[in-house]
Amino acid sequence: MRWAKGAYLRSVSRAFRANPAAVAGLVVFGALVVCAVCAPLLAPYDPAASDLSLRLRGIGTPGHPLGLDGNGRDMLSRLIYGARVSLLTGLVPVAAGGIAAVPIGLLAGYYERAGTVVMRVMDVLFAFPIVLLGILLAAILGPGLPNLLAALTVVVIPYTARVVFVETVLSKHLGFVEAARALGASDRRIIAGQLLPQVLSAAVVYSMTIVGAISIAAAGLSFLGLGIQPPTADWGLMTSDGRNVLNLAPHVSTLPGVAICVMVISLNMMGDGVRAALDPLLRANAALEGRR
Amino acid sequence: MAGYVCRRLLWTVPVLFGVSFVVFLAMHSLPGDAAQQILGLAATEENASALRSSMGLDRPFIVQYAGWLGHTLRGDLGVSAIMRSPVIVILGGKLVNSLVLAAASLSIVAVSGFFLGTASAAHAGKVIDRTIVTTALALASAPVFWVGLVLLFAFGIVWPIFPTAGMTSLTGSNGTPDVLWHVVLPALTAAAMPAAIVTRVTRSAMIDTIGRPFIAAARGRGVSPRRILYVHAARNVLPVFANVCGLQIGHLFGGVVFTEIVFSWPGIGMQLFDSIEQRDIPMVQGCVLAIAVVFVLSNALSDVLVRALDVRSR
Repeated sequence: MRWAKGAYLRSVSRAFRANPAAVAGLVVFGALVVCAVCAPLLAPYDPAASDLSLRLRGIGTPGHPLGLDGNGRDMLSRLIYGARVSLLTGLVPVAAGGIAAVPIGLLAGYYERAGTVVMRVMDVLFAFPIVLLGILLAAILGPGLPNLLAALTVVVIPYTARVVFVETVLSKHLGFVEAARALGASDRRIIAGQLLPQVLSAAVVYSMTIVGAISIAAAGLSFLGLGIQPPTADWGLMTSDGRNVLNLAPHVSTLPGVAICVMVISLNMMGDGVRAALDPLLRANAALEGRR
Repeated sequence: MAGYVCRRLLWTVPVLFGVSFVVFLAMHSLPGDAAQQILGLAATEENASALRSSMGLDRPFIVQYAGWLGHTLRGDLGVSAIMRSPVIVILGGKLVNSLVLAAASLSIVAVSGFFLGTASAAHAGKVIDRTIVTTALALASAPVFWVGLVLLFAFGIVWPIFPTAGMTSLTGSNGTPDVLWHVVLPALTAAAMPAAIVTRVTRSAMIDTIGRPFIAAARGRGVSPRRILYVHAARNVLPVFANVCGLQIGHLFGGVVFTEIVFSWPGIGMQLFDSIEQRDIPMVQGCVLAIAVVFVLSNALSDVLVRALDVRSR
């Protein structure tokens, strides 16, 4: 069994590495993680330090390669520090929401009669566009990073729960589950021992594909003033800061948006790569393609 | 088919009740005391509690909900705390403005998504395909508000060919052409992300279909390549295309909220943003309810349309 698992992981990893877009995404994302972790070492200035004499100077200002914002703060330093918030707001809600959603989806899928009721209740949450639900929750909880994370976690739960629910319903009549039941395994044992590993990969793959979208939603809420508060360096907030000086200093609001795009593109390419690498059919095709 | 349509439309009724409950619960949980809000500086403890009991705010939650639901069903959404006029009246006008923007965006999404996806599939692997795929990946990853600001900067400031704010010119409205001129940039902004996704899905569905035997058979019969693409293949891609368009409605509505704020488009999104800043609770409630109701109804409509377009479900 151990051998088979190792071989499987190796073949998945080979398929991932054979995909240039996925590798590029991984490299860029890794660089962003390094930026976020080592921000104090990499940033040339304190993200809050302001030099009003240089305010709104553009790209290429001596000593400030990416210019300065309306408060005379160094854009490059703020962009580097902004990676921290963007990564947090993308990863934390998806992970926390996923952890909460797996048991919900699993139980709802296994006990389908009661579970259907739960999923119908979730339908009500799907009746709100994601952004609207985020706005509503952020308005109730108030601004700030912890509340933003909490609001987005709640937004994530129904989506991941639905994926787990569908996966559970599809898997629970498969042979290995029937076999476990025939051997006299209890419900708890079937759910935890047979179904959980089965649905987990679907949940993880799905979660990877929504990190970018959730990070964009977080930036959006901060852009609206409902998320991260000044003076924290956040890409969404920085975009909003630059709105009023768009004609004088377009770099202030366009650069953070470029940063968001770069992060989300890298996440999407990585997510697509993982999904393709886990798909046996696509993996076989990729192997054939490589041989040709 | 008729059975499905009935079931799908009937299902919106309990969902809408659920939505109303969530909205009421949310407004109930908003920080701040409505009575103190209204009284402002004149609020003393007696004044505030008298107002609270006259507004029914001291009754149990579920009683308040039932009362509120009764009013809401009759179209009474209360009075805006800031504008001092009935919420439903303000909402009506804003909703029309938002729907104009949403309709313009949705047409851009459908038309560009279909033709770009098809062109991409027809030239799979060529330069044009790679360009479209890369652009779509970038647009699908860009925040709406940023796309809006970039378009605003490019076509409103650097090369000012389109207006940057509002829905009509200040110097007297010139009717529909004026609105259409104003809607270009906002509609493109809200359309960017959904159009990118529709393009990607249409492309892969198209590539899938083109590889099937009946297309090879048509080619063998000497049907022109254009006819094969736009008649034979398109007919098979249509259900997938319609389905993904329907799934984009949520992105589109979310996008419209941000777009309205960036371009000061006088719709529900802009109103929601202003009302949250002004703590105008009845107005916030009305906006959220209106967006959710329109969203639920358009989802139901799109499900029915998708079903009607799919030959296999007949």
